[in-house]
Amino acid sequence: MFRRRQFTRQLQAVGWVLPAVLSVAALLLALPILQAQDKPVIAIQGGTVLTMAGDAIEGGTVVLWQGKIAAVGKQVSIPDGAQIIDATGKYVMPGIVDAMTYYGIRPFALNDRAKPVTPENKVILAYYPFGKRMHGEKGIVKDQEILSGGVTTVYIAPGDQQVIGGQGAVVKTYGADYQAFTLREPAAIDMCIGDPPKQEPRYIGAKPPLTRMGIATLLRKALVGAQQYGQKLKDYDQKTDEEKEKASPPPRNLGMEAMIKLLNKDIPARIESDFVDDIRTAIRICDEFDIDLVIDSGLGAYKVKDILAEKKIPVVLGPPIHPFVQGGEVSMSPDLYREMDDYSAAKLLKAGVPVALASFGFSFGGFGYATSGRWLLLEAAYLTGFNVSDEEALKMITINAAQILGVDDRVGSLEKGKDADVIILDGYPLHIKTWVDQVFIDGENVYTRRGGAK
Amino acid sequence: MKSAIQTFMILFFVAFLMAPLTFSAGELEDTVALKGATVHTAEGPVISDAIILVKEGKIAAVGTDVDIPQGAKVIDCAGKEIIPGLIDEHSHIGAYFDANEFSMPLGPENRAIDGLNFEVPHWYDAMKAGVITVITGPGSGERMGGQSVTIKTWGEDLKKRILKENREAKMAVNARDLSHIPNIRMKLIKALEYKEKWDKYEQGDKKGPTPERDLGLEALVPVLKGEEKLRVHIHFANDMMTFLKLKDEFGFDVTFIHSSEAYKVAPEIAKRNVPVITLPLATRIAISEQLLFGIKKLYEAGVKVALHTDHPVVHQRCLRINAGMVIRYGVPEDAALQMVTINPAKSSKIADRVGSIAVGKDADLVVLDGTWYEPSTRVDMVFVDGLLAYDRMQDDKSATEVD
Repeated sequence: MFRRRQFTRQLQAVGWVLPAVLSVAALLLALPILQAQDKPVIAIQGGTVLTMAGDAIEGGTVVLWQGKIAAVGKQVSIPDGAQIIDATGKYVMPGIVDAMTYYGIRPFALNDRAKPVTPENKVILAYYPFGKRMHGEKGIVKDQEILSGGVTTVYIAPGDQQVIGGQGAVVKTYGADYQAFTLREPAAIDMCIGDPPKQEPRYIGAKPPLTRMGIATLLRKALVGAQQYGQKLKDYDQKTDEEKEKASPPPRNLGMEAMIKLLNKDIPARIESDFVDDIRTAIRICDEFDIDLVIDSGLGAYKVKDILAEKKIPVVLGPPIHPFVQGGEVSMSPDLYREMDDYSAAKLLKAGVPVALASFGFSFGGFGYATSGRWLLLEAAYLTGFNVSDEEALKMITINAAQILGVDDRVGSLEKGKDADVIILDGYPLHIKTWVDQVFIDGENVYTRRGGAK
Repeated sequence: MKSAIQTFMILFFVAFLMAPLTFSAGELEDTVALKGATVHTAEGPVISDAIILVKEGKIAAVGTDVDIPQGAKVIDCAGKEIIPGLIDEHSHIGAYFDANEFSMPLGPENRAIDGLNFEVPHWYDAMKAGVITVITGPGSGERMGGQSVTIKTWGEDLKKRILKENREAKMAVNARDLSHIPNIRMKLIKALEYKEKWDKYEQGDKKGPTPERDLGLEALVPVLKGEEKLRVHIHFANDMMTFLKLKDEFGFDVTFIHSSEAYKVAPEIAKRNVPVITLPLATRIAISEQLLFGIKKLYEAGVKVALHTDHPVVHQRCLRINAGMVIRYGVPEDAALQMVTINPAKSSKIADRVGSIAVGKDADLVVLDGTWYEPSTRVDMVFVDGLLAYDRMQDDKSATEVD
């Protein structure tokens, strides 16, 4: 779906289609409402509500209506005919937002290794939202595994073995169709500074990048290219109609068109970098071109926490229980191991850096998802052993993540008017024995736990 | 006269040097009492408000009714939980890029100890997380990878850290090709013949010509004698059945490693008393819900289960969370603790030294600030052989810096 801002700009650009586009837009806007009206009104009552936007509400009620949250609080009037769900003794919180995954993308479709710079690639095109491949399941996204962890929103990204991998997207883990589950696309352009994008060095015919210098050069080249391409577009636009007829418009370039969104600050650059030196490089380049930056993985980010805080650069940290970074086991690389610090999240938070915790989960051969987002609650719990408060830990996988992804107007907390993405847990969210009992996405029950250990 | 003064001076200095010793004679340097914690002994019931008395590196007493000797160092552990030092029965810590001698697919003569890197920080980090005894060995790239080491993760003297230097052969059954099992079987037959040759020589009062030594076959002899065991990397249920048949044929002791599908043949495994090592850290390894519930099935079938990290596949510090994970999937708490303490100790034949908090065993103790299996719980103190190896408030700068 278009974001409002871009949408208006496009309307201005193509004035003659205005009536047509408007009517289509009206239809698009009306469709979800029409669909939503079929959804029952649900009131989740009696549980401890962790809204992620204020204090916990003991014995609170959450009303889901037309796919949105209609009310949250202790004293809430429940509409007639509402379906009542008793959550007494349970916990109710917003669906979990996994700010970095390769979810739903086949491992070999993640990277376009032959080309180090492919900003034109859109990850949404490789995204497979129909459950397990070749397993006879049908329907749009309803992967019970990821839903069992309470994950309702994920950021999907291209792989990290290119300098510029392509455009990422924010999607829900359930939706009636592509339009319904796509929250933001493109949501960012994914890049990597570090060892993964390096090509195999060969004496003859070696292609860049072979070094970190090479990576930075390719990044700069792409950004300069986008600046120049943008200038050409502007120049052409400013021409009179007569001049336009004589001159030909700049040739289309999908990659550069995407990069211009970076320069316009419509979307941020998400740069995966773990060594603090790489993070410094990322900051340097983004400063140079005045673009927004999000650091992914950021094993050594705590070492430059004050710079990150000052520039308000968010960090999306990887899973702390077993760090798997730069495509490998952190234990196998002495250099990366030295960069690791269990207190990194606490240090960043204390300095005022916006921090999210993400799974970086990917399809793992035929097995399923390694480091899947379904375990994010456990990963968050682990951080509370290293000076992160329980509240901060939960925010890192809900509202903080939503803010960093730019979708906090829709998801990430239980507030009136937001999407009705709600989960019910049978115990305290950060305890290992706690299970997610029910998951609602857009007010629809998409997962109910059957069986389990208790 | 001069020499008399010298003697006097020497005596004076000796007395001076000894002064601190004489003053502190009342304090017993090697006696420590941990007082007030909830103690999970791993073999008996949970004791609350307990006292653990440590003397000369061993556990001297444990219970609620323990007399603390005059001068013993008393550490207040009220509100804490104490568990035995954890045991990781299968890992490659220190081995890393030296774990696989691919050129020797049948290499039981290779010894992991010769390839270990003791200088990496992972050993200390494992200890910090309460993992004190580890079995580390060759990788699974060969049919017979070599011999593993049983070693503590911390200690001044490397020699003293080692509980068992070799003699346990590691195998890998990957069913990659059909020749896998025949190759292993042939090697075992050769080892049997080798053993008989030497037995004959030794029974004949060593009169005949001395048989030639073969390091590989020699390594398999203690296994065939039942003194030591085979550790077998194995995932699939059909491979397990094959190996159980081999066990029936040769009568060796065997432990299954990884054992993903062991729950599918749990009764057959239980019948033969084969211990099973398995890995439930689903946060890292994409294993299915059935596999996670499988551990409960194994436990209920009476199989002795141990949990492992397979470090570096899963970081060694996650062992305690592994136990939490099997509790989540239905195994009782005390049984889950046994899976990372006494079960691996017994199956590795080191239960006389480690694996539980019992009188006479090594004082390997982990003091925690909350429920022992919760991910949010921190390790406060670790004792290895009675020595305070790690104290969070002392050794972990960040613990006090950030709050």
